[in-house]
Amino acid sequence: MRIVVGIKWVPNTQAVRFDPKTGTLIRTGVPAIVNPHDLPAAELALRLRDEYGGEVIVLTMAPPPAVQGLEHILGMGADKAVLLTDRAFAGADTLATSYVIAEGIRKIEREIGKVDLAVFGQETIDSSTAHIGAQVASWLGWPYIYYVKNAKMVNGALRVERQLENAVETFDVGLPAVVSVAMKALKARPVRLSHKLRVKLEKPIIVWSNKDLGLDPRCVGLKGSPTIVSKVTYLPEVPRRKIVYKPKDPRDAARWILAQLFQDEKTREALHKALWG
Amino acid sequence: MPKVDCGKLCPEWPCEQPDEFKNVWVITEASEEGVSEASLQMLTPALEIAGKLGSKVVGVLIGYNVERHAETLIRHGADEVIVVDSEDLKEYYPEVYGQVVVDLARKYKPEVILIAATMRGREMGPYIANTLRAGITADCTDFDVDEKTRDVLLIRPPFAAIMLAYIKTPFRRPQIGTARPNVFPVPPADDTRKGEIIRETVQVRKTRTRLVSRTILKREEIPIEKAEIIVSGGKGLGGPEGFKLLEELASILGGVVAGSRKAVDAGWISHERQVGQTGKSVKPILYIAVGISGAAQHMIGVREATRIVAINIDPEAPIFNQADYGVIGDYKEIVESLIEELKKLKEAGPEAVDELIKEYTIQEAAVQQG
Ligand SMILES: Cc1cc2nc3c(=O)[nH]c(=O)nc-3n(C[C@H](O)[C@H](O)[C@H](O)COP(=O)(O)OP(=O)(O)OC[C@H]3O[C@@H](n4cnc5c(N)ncnc54)[C@H](O)[C@@H]3O)c2cc1C
Repeated sequence: MRIVVGIKWVPNTQAVRFDPKTGTLIRTGVPAIVNPHDLPAAELALRLRDEYGGEVIVLTMAPPPAVQGLEHILGMGADKAVLLTDRAFAGADTLATSYVIAEGIRKIEREIGKVDLAVFGQETIDSSTAHIGAQVASWLGWPYIYYVKNAKMVNGALRVERQLENAVETFDVGLPAVVSVAMKALKARPVRLSHKLRVKLEKPIIVWSNKDLGLDPRCVGLKGSPTIVSKVTYLPEVPRRKIVYKPKDPRDAARWILAQLFQDEKTREALHKALWG
Repeated sequence: MPKVDCGKLCPEWPCEQPDEFKNVWVITEASEEGVSEASLQMLTPALEIAGKLGSKVVGVLIGYNVERHAETLIRHGADEVIVVDSEDLKEYYPEVYGQVVVDLARKYKPEVILIAATMRGREMGPYIANTLRAGITADCTDFDVDEKTRDVLLIRPPFAAIMLAYIKTPFRRPQIGTARPNVFPVPPADDTRKGEIIRETVQVRKTRTRLVSRTILKREEIPIEKAEIIVSGGKGLGGPEGFKLLEELASILGGVVAGSRKAVDAGWISHERQVGQTGKSVKPILYIAVGISGAAQHMIGVREATRIVAINIDPEAPIFNQADYGVIGDYKEIVESLIEELKKLKEAGPEAVDELIKEYTIQEAAVQQG
């Protein structure tokens, strides 16, 4: 089976610090990494390939430095990589990004061969939209499922398990399809030196610009993006009530807490539901 | 309203003018039992946006045997409800349900579409938006309207709610957003409200996906990032048996337990249940922090909790400055009393709440006077 894994090269937001004085995020010197939630997606793709044969192609739409991210996944054992890069792609929102990714997958199908599965991470740490999987499925007209924890082939379909807020579900998904892998679902294998060496020798990274994809410039980047960020504000501190009570005894403490929560319109309903359904 | 120059638009997109679109839609999740709470909550921002735009709120109800719930939507504020009730919609598949919404939206052209950001809503929303070639904003916590341009500002908090981004789609309609559950209240029900119910039949798309099984999770298995009530323990519990007590409290409240990093490092609770910078961000309605000091790395994970209760023996503990309701004392006795009082309340019924509230308002009044 031929599997495409989409990844994003992102600033490591866990290293982004917040300056409470100026109310801004300190991004300078923040290293870029492969979006951590994409690693379980790559792992799932590699496991499926190891089990059923075929190849894994890692793909990203990004400026050229993202090659490091592709190399990371190649280092884990992916077979090929595709970098979709062009000035015209800059400023893309998720719709314009997913369009380029979907067109990248179509070009892979034309030039390399039929794609059976596209795998994405559930969301990114720098914007957490969780849009891309569904949008790519929409462009390609493929079925899709989110929050996948594991997958295997059963009677020619991909059997996936996923967890929602309150239920575990199993689906058989007919291929080709798109799946997004739940955060922390699988532990990613480490990068191996032998794979890195192969990358150095064989250079299995294909670079396609918009000339190669042949997309209308009105459909990509900023121009192809319906959403506009009109402003950004910062909220350094969450407003809290900060009412502190020194109780007479434990019973008084318990009753005081409950009296507050039942008087508070934000919590009253939830308590009613919990106690009396 | 500005005119869209179709020559500048991507030819993959239908060329439509913003003024062709009207009304605010709420896409609801419903089963035979009823409309989900999270979907009803979406009526609150929908009513507010519709008020500013001078338009109607329309509920969209999709599924099998769901038609009778249209009245519920009307009672809670919908002016109209579009119902698609079909046996072919017995099981939810994102692209199947999503395509139904797309077909309806192509016919009626809503100006705004709101969807609860439940896991299914977050799955289906971007499919709907993309297929309509419209923008979408995920996990909104607030909305505003520019009444001149009729642009809706969709406000979302990336980065653990430290930052708020205001997003709009000035040259595309519908304007689509998913919004966080439990941020907005359910609008009060009014049994006298009347509304129109429109029955639509839509050609339901076939899918290559098949549901094999569904198992409902037990309360204690619900992941902390999805829980509405969390009882969380820290180093101050003194040992793993403290968590047994917290589990008992969580069970009465229909919630789950979580812990600080020190509690996880001590092996008292699993890593999946750690709250904070290196754990998970949680968004419960109620977060009860027990024996937790309130370190910055812990508190970053509870920024989006609606209310925080702190129980701590140290009056100087930093958590008191970051909680809504704090109580000073030894946790063990206080949690035991909480369990006991909750059991008594549960037994006595909702009427007993009034008495409890009276006791404490009178006491507070007495304190104020004396
Ligand atoms: C890079 C980094 C990442 C981190 N990530 C996280 C993270 O994700 N999550 C996290 O939680 N921490 C994280 N930490 C650790 C964090 O800094 C704190 O050390 C930790 O949160 C403290 O846990 P605690 O509140 O349980 O323990 P303590 O700070 O030891 O507090 C225990 C509290 O219990 C109270 N207490 C004691 N006895 C009782 C009693 N009988 N009744 C009532 N109260 C009592 C004490 O007064 C005290 O306030 C991180 C630290 C670093 C440096």
